[in-house]
Amino acid sequence: MTLLGQDAPSQLERGLLSSLRSLLVLGKLMTEGADEQQILELAVTAAPSLARCSLVSVELAGGRRRVPGLDAQLALVGATGGLVELPKMGWAWAYPLSSIAGHLGHLVIGAATEPSPEEQFLLRSLAQQAGGALANQRLHAQEQATAAELSALNERLRGTVGALQHSMNIHTRLTAVAVSGEGSEGIARAVHELTGLQVSIEDRYGNLQAWAGPNRPDPYPKDSPARREQLICRAKRAARPIRDGARILALAHPQGDTLGAIVLVDPTASASEQALMALEHGATILAMELARVRSLAESELRLRRDLVDELLNGTDEESGLARATALGYDLQRPHRVVVIEGRGRTRDNDTFFQAVRRAARDEPAGTLLAARGAEVVLLADREPDWESLRRSVMRELGGGRARMGVGECCERVNEFPRSYRQAKLALRLPATAEWDDRSIRFDDLGVYRLLVGIEDLSEVERFVQHWLGDLMAYDEQRGTELVRTLSHYLARGGNYELTAKSLIVHRNTLKYRLQRIRQIGGLDLGDPDTCFNLELATRAWGTLGVLRSS
Amino acid sequence: MTTSMAMGLPGVSLAPGDHICAFYRGAAQRDELLVPYLREGLLAGDKCICVTDDPGADQAVRTLAGQLDVDLSLATGQLESMRSESSYLVGGCFVIDRMIEFWDGAVGGAVRHDGYQFVRAVGEMTWALRDLPGVEHLLAYEARLNDFLPRYPQVILCLYDLEQFSNGQILLDILRTHPKVLLSGQLMDNPWYTDPEVYLASHS
Repeated sequence: MTLLGQDAPSQLERGLLSSLRSLLVLGKLMTEGADEQQILELAVTAAPSLARCSLVSVELAGGRRRVPGLDAQLALVGATGGLVELPKMGWAWAYPLSSIAGHLGHLVIGAATEPSPEEQFLLRSLAQQAGGALANQRLHAQEQATAAELSALNERLRGTVGALQHSMNIHTRLTAVAVSGEGSEGIARAVHELTGLQVSIEDRYGNLQAWAGPNRPDPYPKDSPARREQLICRAKRAARPIRDGARILALAHPQGDTLGAIVLVDPTASASEQALMALEHGATILAMELARVRSLAESELRLRRDLVDELLNGTDEESGLARATALGYDLQRPHRVVVIEGRGRTRDNDTFFQAVRRAARDEPAGTLLAARGAEVVLLADREPDWESLRRSVMRELGGGRARMGVGECCERVNEFPRSYRQAKLALRLPATAEWDDRSIRFDDLGVYRLLVGIEDLSEVERFVQHWLGDLMAYDEQRGTELVRTLSHYLARGGNYELTAKSLIVHRNTLKYRLQRIRQIGGLDLGDPDTCFNLELATRAWGTLGVLRSS
Repeated sequence: MTTSMAMGLPGVSLAPGDHICAFYRGAAQRDELLVPYLREGLLAGDKCICVTDDPGADQAVRTLAGQLDVDLSLATGQLESMRSESSYLVGGCFVIDRMIEFWDGAVGGAVRHDGYQFVRAVGEMTWALRDLPGVEHLLAYEARLNDFLPRYPQVILCLYDLEQFSNGQILLDILRTHPKVLLSGQLMDNPWYTDPEVYLASHS
């Protein structure tokens, strides 16, 4: 039964009113409806209640056709709608689903016979309501999508702002540390506060430099040198923090030179992106700090070296003292110039210098030192056991050789060159040059001290010429070593055995050479006076050689 | 017996025997119907029976505490609040006769034994969307309920969430089984309403 099935006018009016109310309720329901499908189903389901019809279909513009073969007809009737032909239908009409958003499709109704004008009015109204509800729903869905998109965008923006804020906090905190001069301790503490994780700062070799957080390990675990090197290589390749077991390590390597590392202790692998960001920032600040410290150290070292050079080369009292004061060094104490020669297992001047520096610091012997070629010069402000100092150098080197000459004590700035010359002579005089590695004080050189101290060497040269002139001329002409042989023989009290051994020659060779010495020089080696003068002459000959060369 | 009474929404009046389907979208709109409806009933001294399906609706009933002593109402039995599991879906299934008996016991008891002049009932109907035996008889139940309404001085408000009841055919059937419809804050005589006998005959 339809709502307009009665013929009486009063009933018709009542029926029409009822139908309009039905449409009103339906329209409200469609407007309130949750989705497009719900609206379409309501329209399709309600239509037979409003008019006699046997086919109801909603054909959306651009959608899949529910009733086949309608495309051309719907295109023809367009947004105004109109009569269409459907198989087995006496009458069919396409009502437009219109709205302010445009034409959305058609409500297609099929019936055996044409419905009454009132029924057609209701069907057209139904289509209009469905179109309006559909447009509203689409607008609403679009608004929701836009709102969701905006919400997601806002969320992303909040995330970005949060990350930026965090990054700024990290930057601000660590910059404050860098500016305040809190050093590695301050950097470790700041990164610990930013991440909540334990933080350590290690030097290039894995030694602990600073720690922040609870439960500081004691002793601090240290990798073998080989493993440490592998770890640093891996971190360099990664160019970002790397995980090493329970730790996350970031290198501090300004200009590619690894100076140290900052480590987050993260056994549960819970470090957040922000924590890693803080670690990276921390590594950057640490790199700056370590570079600054190294630069300072290098500057101080250079200034110290310049001061040492100036003192050894001779400078005036005022200038020397001023430079020393600028370095915070008290020069107005007794000093000795110490010259150390040697090398470690490898010939590396810097390694040798560092070994001397550490040994002098620990002994203690002094802190003012400089490398001069292969030798290291120390201005010692203490009187340590010199042999003990030399052995310390050997220990620091881990093997190799070390010889040490110690000059006389100098009380004033202008005495440093003299002490330096004495230290070098102590290393090079014939009597010491062939000794085993040891420390030699110039004070202990006996007659050599007298010879070195003579201002006018011409008398000494005449004395040497008188006693050794023939032998020296023979050696020069024949390339022999008669003077050197005589020198060793006399220095060992005429002992054949010791002399042959020191010269590394056979005993018979020594006897032959001594015979030649007696013949060429006309010398009686059995005469004590002759022997005394010859020994003095040979020592003077050696001393003159060293003095000339220096 | 009162012939007309305020529902709780501005300008909306109820009449004894009303069986109303109220459509809403989402929990917030549901609470805007549920809370004033119960509050008005409690203030009028009516017996109020509330069956909820969403735990959030329980909380909505609690919001009445802002204006009324809900605990006292619950304690005295003026307000009965229960879940669908202990009413519509006892034993994990829906049975029409059992539910009609439930209402008969609850409403009849309130009127006959507890002396209430009027009973307001409200049911959140989303339980019918669960995949449980008997829920397919929802609309037959709604039609049968129309015969039960005249027995007592009462109003029954059925809450339907349009976000969950999305099928157009079901929506029209819901309309056909309720003499009154509440939409957008407006209570109307439902032109789609079909006599229960006719409806049940056409759907049997």
